[in-house]
Formats: sequence, C-alpha cells, structure tokens
Amino acid sequence: MNHDPFAWGRPLNETYGEYNYNIANASSVTSHRNPKMATQQPIVTGSSVLAIKFKDGVIMAADNLASYGSLARFDNVERLLQVGKDTIVGCSGDISDFQKIERLLDDLEIEDGYDIENYELKANHIHEYLSRVFYNRRSKMDPLWNSCLVGGFDADSGEPFLKYVDLLGVTYGADSLATGFGSHLAIPLLRKKLDSDDAVKNLTEEEGIKLISECMKVLYYRDARSLDKYSLAIIKKDDVKLIKGLRCEDMSWRFASGIRGYGN
Amino acid sequence: MMLPPLSFLPIFIDFNCIFSPDGRNFQVEYATKAVENGGTSIGIKCKDGIVLAVEKVVNSKLLVPGKNKKIQTIDRHVGVCYSGLIPDGRHLVNRGRDEAQSYKSLYKEPILVPSLIDRLGIYVQNYTCYNSVRPFGVSAIVGGIDDNGPHLYMIEPSGVYWGYNGAATGKGRQAAKSELEKLDLPNLTTREAVKEAAKIIYAAHESNKDKDFELEISWINYEDTKGRHESIPEELLKEAIEYAAAQSDEEESSDEEMEE
Amino acid sequence: MNGITVDIEHLKKGEVSLGTSIMAVTFKDGVILGADSRTTTGAYIANRVTDKLTQVHDTIFCCRSGSAADTQAITDVVRYHLQMYTAQNGKPTTKIAASLFQELCYTNKDHLTAGIICAGYDEKKKGSVYSIPIGGSIHQQDYAIAGSGSTFIYGYCNKNFKKNMTKDETVNFIKTSLSQAIKWDGSSGGVIRLVILTKDGIERLIFYPDEYQEA
Repeated sequence: MNHDPFAWGRPLNETYGEYNYNIANASSVTSHRNPKMATQQPIVTGSSVLAIKFKDGVIMAADNLASYGSLARFDNVERLLQVGKDTIVGCSGDISDFQKIERLLDDLEIEDGYDIENYELKANHIHEYLSRVFYNRRSKMDPLWNSCLVGGFDADSGEPFLKYVDLLGVTYGADSLATGFGSHLAIPLLRKKLDSDDAVKNLTEEEGIKLISECMKVLYYRDARSLDKYSLAIIKKDDVKLIKGLRCEDMSWRFASGIRGYGN
Repeated sequence: MMLPPLSFLPIFIDFNCIFSPDGRNFQVEYATKAVENGGTSIGIKCKDGIVLAVEKVVNSKLLVPGKNKKIQTIDRHVGVCYSGLIPDGRHLVNRGRDEAQSYKSLYKEPILVPSLIDRLGIYVQNYTCYNSVRPFGVSAIVGGIDDNGPHLYMIEPSGVYWGYNGAATGKGRQAAKSELEKLDLPNLTTREAVKEAAKIIYAAHESNKDKDFELEISWINYEDTKGRHESIPEELLKEAIEYAAAQSDEEESSDEEMEE
Repeated sequence: MNGITVDIEHLKKGEVSLGTSIMAVTFKDGVILGADSRTTTGAYIANRVTDKLTQVHDTIFCCRSGSAADTQAITDVVRYHLQMYTAQNGKPTTKIAASLFQELCYTNKDHLTAGIICAGYDEKKKGSVYSIPIGGSIHQQDYAIAGSGSTFIYGYCNKNFKKNMTKDETVNFIKTSLSQAIKWDGSSGGVIRLVILTKDGIERLIFYPDEYQEA
C-alpha cells in the first residue's frame, strides 16, 4: 500500500503499475480536466428505430436486439413502447436508460390518470416531456444515453405527429425519421418515397408497412448491431397495433454464389 | 353520542393527545361527527372488482352538472371515496398517491392494496397523537384490484381500518348498510353492483331529502376497465339511475299497499 | 467500448474479481442456478472454492459476477430490503427481488462492476430468471448465462436449452455448459455448484472437476 499522504491507501505504483484513470472514467475519478463525469458510455444497447407518417397516422419499427459491445446479448427486447391511447415511443441507445424512461413515462401516465375523467396524454406532450428530461440530465452531465422517436397525434390539430429527441435534448420533426444507423441507411430510402406533403397524404398503410420493412431489411444487411427480428407499430387515431416477432423476408443472398475472388 | 358538558371537565381533555378520564379521545369522536354529516359514500366488493358510489350534495345551482368529481384515483388500480371534510379527504388521497409512488419506485410494481391501506392507516392514526394537529374529518372507502384480487377497506378518523364486502359511511350510512346486507356479497358482478349502488345511494338520500344531489359511480374490474379505476360509462350511469328510480317507485307503491 | 472486455477493464488494479461462469435455468418444477468456484486477482486464484450462489430470501438466490466487493455489498442491501418487504407486505416474488437488484445496479452504475442473475421460485410464477448486466438493465429470460466464461457457451446453450426439462435433464444441461465454460475461460474453474429451487425448498449439489470433466 502507498503511504504517501497524497496517495494514501492506493496500490503501490511499483507493484501494480500506475493507476489508469481512463480505464474507469466514472465520477469517482477526480481529474483536473473533468469537473464531474457521471454517465460514461452506453453498455447494453439497441440499434436503429425507423418511423414514417402516412395517410392515417404513423408507422414505426425497431428490431429486438440488445447488444453488449459486439455480442448479441439479448434477442427478445421490445424497444417500442406504447404510452397513453395512441402514442408510441421508440428508443435506441442504452437499454437500462430506456427502461428508466419506461418507468418515467409510466409514472407520467398514472399522474395523468389522477384526473379520473380523461386520459389526455398525446404524442406532443410526451415528446415535450422527454425533451425536458433529456436536456435536464445532459445539463447535469449525466445524460440518458438514448435517441428516441415519438409517433402519434398532435393534441391540438389532430394531425399525425412524428418527432425525434436525443440524449442532448436536441429535437426535430419530419415526415420520415430514423435513429442510429438508420439515419444513414434508411432515411435516403424513406425520403425518396416521401418527398412531399402529398406523398404522405397518399401513402396507404400497406405501402407504408412495405416501405418500412424494406428498410429493416437493408439495415439487417448493413448494420452489424442489428437483427432480422423486429416489431412494427401502426398508429392510427385511438388505435395502436403493435405487431411483434416479425422477420425480414425475401432477402437477397443467392447472388453470392456468382461472386468469386476479390471482384473487379 | 353523549358528550359531557364542558364546564364539568378540565379543558385539557379536549386536546387531541390527552385521554378523557373515561379513556376516550374526544377530538377523534368530534371528527366522526363531521363524517356523519357528510354525503353518503359506499363501496361494494364484487367477484370481479370494486364499485364505489357517492351521493354528491349539490350546494349551488351554479355548479356545472357532472363535473367536480368527488371520487378520486390513488393509483391506476385503486380508487377512493369519502364522507366528511373534502379538503381532509383530498389531503389523504395525496398522501395515498405519494405512498403508491414510493412503493412503485422501489419495487417496480403497483402497490398491493393491503399495503397501501396499512400505510394510510398509520398516517391517519398519527393525527390523533399530537395536540398541534386535529384528526382527519373523513371516513375513506378505498377499493382496488391487485394480484390477489379485489380489496375493499374503510379508514376511519381514529386511523382504524377494516376490510369489507360492502362499506358505507356518511349521513345515510344506516339505510345504506341495511341495503348492502340484503345483497349477495361478494358474489355480485360489478355490472350488477353498479345498479345496486345507484339504488342504495338513492335510498340513502331519503335522510337528506331537502338537498339536491348528484350520483357519482366509479368501478374497477378485469373486463371493462382492465384493472383500472375509472368512472362508469355515461350509458351505464343512466341505466343505473333508471333502475334506482324504478326500484324506489316500486317500494313506494308497496309501502302504500301496506298502509291499506 | 470494445465488446465484452469492458467489464474486466473496469476493475481497479488489485481488485478481486469474479471472472466467472454463472447461469440459471428454469425447468418443469422451478429453477436451478449454477456457478463455478474461482475468484481471481489478476492471474492469481484468490479463492478456488468460492460460493457465488447467494441466498437473498427463502427461495430466491442470485449468481454474482464482476467485482466481489460490489456484488457482496449489493446482495447484502437486497437481502435487507427483502426482509423489510416480508415484514410489511408478505412474501416477495422473484421479480421484486430482481427489481431491487436492478434499482441498485442502475442508480449506482458509475461506481459498480456487477453482473447479476437473480433467480427464484414463488407460488405464482413458479421458477423465474432475471438477468441484470452491468449498466443496470433488467431482462427476464427462460435461462440466463453471464460472466466471462459465458461467452464461450452462448451457442451451446442456445442450441440445447429446452423449456420444461426435468430436473435431471436440467442438471446435466448446466453441468455440461459450465464445464465447457470452465474449460475455455481462464478466469473460471474449480468445482461446479448448483442450487435447485422448487416448491420443496432448496437443494444444493456440487460437482468436482473429476466428475464434470469429460474423459
């Protein structure tokens, strides 16, 4: 043990080597560079969430994988969460923080129910609430390590609602949104189809589902932290269908047999 | 209840924290008086859930009909109605909500109804122990569904609570109790009990006839509310009121027959 | 973060670690927990007959992996909470015990290195298993594996687990799984300890290297 009054009780450097502060960059580490560090890094993580608006509402999808680094740790995790009557929150990033968000939103729902007459929580309320929570936590240097999509209906206009919010409290909305790898791979595909307000107004449920499942397939091809098993939520007024255990279908692999050598 | 004349006793027995010479806590008994003057509240335990009903005395014609709900929710699965001082009841409900939240934040599950009632009982009892506070002027009927099925309790100003198949408190409690005793509890369904509850509140209102009232009913069951505490639907309330009116007409006519 | 090495690197130098192979499996009559018995300080085996299966209530146990100090402290707190729960509300379910582990691991994630499997038997849900990896998320599973040795047996367990196995089948499943984990993981070793939780209570089994190693 080190008996130097400034390092009392620490393992001796001669015996154990110098302490590496970067190994455990947790809050107990007092470094002159970091005034305070709380949350460190995501550990058990979920990958992309995709969502689009369509004629009658919003369609959202997320696969069922929770990764532990590159290890596919849990293959049955539900990352789409229903809140209130017709809102879905889809979360990527740290799963333990997602579960915390689940609990926060459940408490919010209970408080909303204290008014015995009506359950009034709509998508825009939930999105605003989440953005406040995320921003608060990032301001404490202790962020919830997620990016979320909130899909549903606006309380005032009754129009389909789809917005993004992430660990910094950043928010934006669009007709098609994605988190994680999806924002690189899926958004170009989604935007190609949904290139105008009219395109959204004319998109049927079937077309929407087809578009989303096509993107889930591309993600499975190209995202190394994805799974071919996913859940799909179809959000219509006062009606949410959460379809679980879907698989990517009609994948294209056969062409691999024609490929020899490095290719030219 | 016979209360001794004040001049006869030293003043201090009126304090909450001090017994009277014959072993009573007068503040608690006075609180019970406040309850006995309140509008009637009842609770019914059924095989598939709980029904709560209150006679909401309407003090002004300017109040919006159907609003100003008296029955409250403590947690998704727990409802409460009470007779007595409304602000005291509100405070008790807030405490119940805090207890339910604290249980859930630790155990990640909705609070068990017996555990909730135990915590509320302790809280109410505390207000009988110090002379800086007065006891709660309410009797609260608390009903809920948890993993072990439906539960119905009533907490009194002393902090004591008992489990019931049918509970009644407030001005018309005697009439309500005798009506409740006629029912086949707890083998009724909630749908049947809603109608009976309406009938009982109408019968209990007889003792308070000079005042206008509104009937308010809530329920918790597995099929219709999925274990949530909710107001009964508009149509069902209408149906229940019609049933109650028909029943009381019938009784009136049978009374007349007896008079003959 | 670089995959599964993260929890090992997180330890402070000189800290005692349960570089472990642990698992818990539900079966027809309840649940069985299994663990190796090696505790290491770097490459030195600090204890070769460790008991990593720790009781937190009558028929609720946990398997501990990560820092020995952290997991012991957490387990002690959970045991206290469950005693409290029993006094106030009656018998706890396995889910409640697991939720307590989860809450502690989550709120103190900056200071802890703990991967816990909580498994138990209760009248309503019978046998159930919850996995609480570092970070403090919670995952209910039919069976769970964890610790450094578990990475070598993901494939084996996934292929060979069946729902509603008999007790003997389950014991054999755990024994072969853990013997493989021990074989390929330098941080796992020693004896295999099992705890069987059913309506009849607790039964402990132990298998020595000469018994579980294949000829």
